[in-house]
Amino acid sequence: MLAQVLTQLVVVVTLLVGVSTALFVGRDRLRKTRGAWRQRVRAATPITIALAAVLLFNSVARQIVPDFSWIIDWNLTFPIYDLEGEFIIWLQAQATPAVTAYFSFIYIYGYVFLLVFPLVAYFALSETRPLRELLTAYTLNYTIGLLLYVFVIAYGPRNMMPELVEALLYDTYPQYQHLTRQVNRNTNVFPSLHTSLAATVSILAYRTRVQYPGWNIVAAVLGISVAISTMYLGIHWVIDVLAGIALAYVSVELAHVLVGRWSISAWLDGRVQSLRRR
Amino acid sequence: MNCDTTDHVDGIDRRSVLAATGAGLSLSLSGCIDTVESVVSDDEDDQLSLSIVTVPDDGNRETVRIARHLERNLEAVGIDTSIAWRSPSEFLEMILIDHDFDLYVGRHPADYDPDFLYEALHSAYADEAGWQNPFQYKQPTFVDPSLEAQRRADGDERRQLLKPVLRALAEEKPFDPICRPDEYRVANTRFDGWGDDHPATRRGYLGLEPEDDVDRLHALVTDARPSQNVNPLSATIRERGTVVDLLYDSLGTLVVTEDDDGVSYDVEPWLAREWEWEPTDDGRMTATVHLREECLFHESDEYDSQPVTAEDVEFTYAFLNDTAWGQSDTPSPAPRYRGQVSAVDDIVLDEDDPYQFQITVDAGAEVGDRALTVPILPRHVWRAELQDRISDLDSFSAPQGDWGLVTTSSVPPVGSGPFQFESQSQRNFLHLERFDDHFTLRADVALPEPTVEELRFSVDPGSTSSVSRVESGDADLTSSMLEAHAVGDISDDSDAVRLESPSWTFYHLGFNTSVSPCSDPEFRQAVCRLLDKVWITERIFYNRATPLSSPVADDWVPDDIEWDGEDPTTPFIGTDGMVNVEAARAVFESAGNFRYDDNGRLRVRN
Repeated sequence: MLAQVLTQLVVVVTLLVGVSTALFVGRDRLRKTRGAWRQRVRAATPITIALAAVLLFNSVARQIVPDFSWIIDWNLTFPIYDLEGEFIIWLQAQATPAVTAYFSFIYIYGYVFLLVFPLVAYFALSETRPLRELLTAYTLNYTIGLLLYVFVIAYGPRNMMPELVEALLYDTYPQYQHLTRQVNRNTNVFPSLHTSLAATVSILAYRTRVQYPGWNIVAAVLGISVAISTMYLGIHWVIDVLAGIALAYVSVELAHVLVGRWSISAWLDGRVQSLRRR
Repeated sequence: MNCDTTDHVDGIDRRSVLAATGAGLSLSLSGCIDTVESVVSDDEDDQLSLSIVTVPDDGNRETVRIARHLERNLEAVGIDTSIAWRSPSEFLEMILIDHDFDLYVGRHPADYDPDFLYEALHSAYADEAGWQNPFQYKQPTFVDPSLEAQRRADGDERRQLLKPVLRALAEEKPFDPICRPDEYRVANTRFDGWGDDHPATRRGYLGLEPEDDVDRLHALVTDARPSQNVNPLSATIRERGTVVDLLYDSLGTLVVTEDDDGVSYDVEPWLAREWEWEPTDDGRMTATVHLREECLFHESDEYDSQPVTAEDVEFTYAFLNDTAWGQSDTPSPAPRYRGQVSAVDDIVLDEDDPYQFQITVDAGAEVGDRALTVPILPRHVWRAELQDRISDLDSFSAPQGDWGLVTTSSVPPVGSGPFQFESQSQRNFLHLERFDDHFTLRADVALPEPTVEELRFSVDPGSTSSVSRVESGDADLTSSMLEAHAVGDISDDSDAVRLESPSWTFYHLGFNTSVSPCSDPEFRQAVCRLLDKVWITERIFYNRATPLSSPVADDWVPDDIEWDGEDPTTPFIGTDGMVNVEAARAVFESAGNFRYDDNGRLRVRN
């Protein structure tokens, strides 16, 4: 069942990325990319390795983190529920099948597309800084997010008030749970990484609105939709989403400061030249 | 190091981005501010406060909803109530091992025979960790003698002797049974013979007839714990022990049969070929037991296969009584099987026959039979594991119920059962293989046997998705019983069959009777009167459960405490799940040591 869901995901996202590439990136940029891809890959390699390492560490750590969390036992579930249980009930009152279908699609497909497309779009830019900032921001999101997961135990609305969350994603589309449980633990809802990664893309899209004005709008709509979908589907609380947006902001700002500060390729170049000089 | 100062994308007003993303949210949040203030300004110095422990929806949807129903009604009568959500194993750790709770809502594994109440309520176990008396309930004058007396009797006499226990339970409420869920599962028609035996027991997985090319039984569990640890002694990772039943043999095996007269539960010969209880002179029962000859334990990387003999049986019962084997200051009984093992007084081996022994129980035949259902552990494995852990006697300790040997996943899961351990992957699957030397596969043994080479338990995220996987043919059985909300999802026109089985588990509200205010039986009664069991079965279980006034099968319950449209001792104060606040407050006020302040909060009278 997992394989089936994955295949579906790959097909849909590939399709969306293909269409968006044609719409936003354009033939001209792609042609130039063909000539310059080596340099761009080299520029993005160090941070890609860092991101891969963090993701790998994340997948291992997520097996152990819950045990640590239960030892620390900083359980925020009840305070959050006490504070904002009403809001989720209000949001659920707006549920209709069409809206549920839309947000379910956004939560799975829209989200993955939102994360993947900017990689293509920024790779097609002659300036590699947006690409490096994007990858750095992703890395920071995962790193800080995992750290928070170690400390905070909280279950999402669907786990605490299942009867109020009418549009439960996993009741309507149980197949998706096979997918999400590969990457998520149910005690890790604070902050919402779905929101933070989506918001990261939206913020960066705004900053590159000169290069990609159309994408800026699409990313804004998708980013907001993803944030709402996590609450509408009963997966996250408002607090998780707000924390996710804050995490995105911090990650983008930090990425902006960090990127280019230590350029490994330039450092390597310098070493090579000084060696040649000898 | 090189500094790259080139900067292309900047000068953007970030706040406007954030404002755009957050606009919709901050608006909708404004309604919550009142709540925040009222929480902060509350003066809760003396207000009675309680915490309810339960598992989240992923663990069990029904318990969360019962807990929230109770929370709402407790708040309504002026008790400051919070809920603590724990993962299933953390939940059991908190309740069974640490006894760190006021109230909890959960499902009790119970047993087919009401003698499970012996370990659940006997004062002797009030200080032990495990399934034995987690309520820390002590009533040595009324309850203990009746618990002991009913064990020694059989048939109608036992029924009479159990009545005082059930009445005391209804009055005293160390726990309150809420309802018994209907047990539904879905099975694929690739196999024939579903429903001949109970799918929560060993025999439910044996004797099934697969279609010609099928050599694997793929069962789904919604509980990830079997994929992590199969230690038969752990209290926090086992629920009903179905997997343990398949890996290990017991002397007798439970056979559940349903006919027009109702359900009957019998313990029939399994690893023991036969036994016959005979009364001794001092009112106990004794039996000479013959084991099936030349049965073997499974092989593992560390341990060779060895024959199952009476020595292993003797070892098992002694070891379950003290898992520290006399090496720690105090005995360390296993946190499971306490009731079964406590019935056994003596096992005497036969010097001439390694397959024969004499067992004496301080109980009647019914409880004696139940004592024969514990898994027989290989002496060679557990003794070696024990030795590893007590190499240093000076610093050795074995905290009862929670020490390494009874919690670890590192003891090789070697039993003599019909299936043997092959592999497991955390949160993914537990893979078992047929044990070709199992006695049921012998030509001269007419018992259901393992018919498939492979038995795989895959962890599935939920009841709903399990149902659709079995219907689509991706799996053969939903091994965990389905949550009530998913039963309606079963479609009529698929290749799957719906199985309904007799059930003995029940949902209950547990009290910690050792701490105030739940130490007061009047207070406990008052709390029980806030549970609308009818509303719960209708609205939370969609009528797929039976409300209970007593935790045992109907034919054991005395007439005067039988369910009668409502709980006869603690009827709900209110209608349709909504508590009648005024009447309920009156009940709490008259429950003894409590009063209401001007703000309607319940306080302990000074």
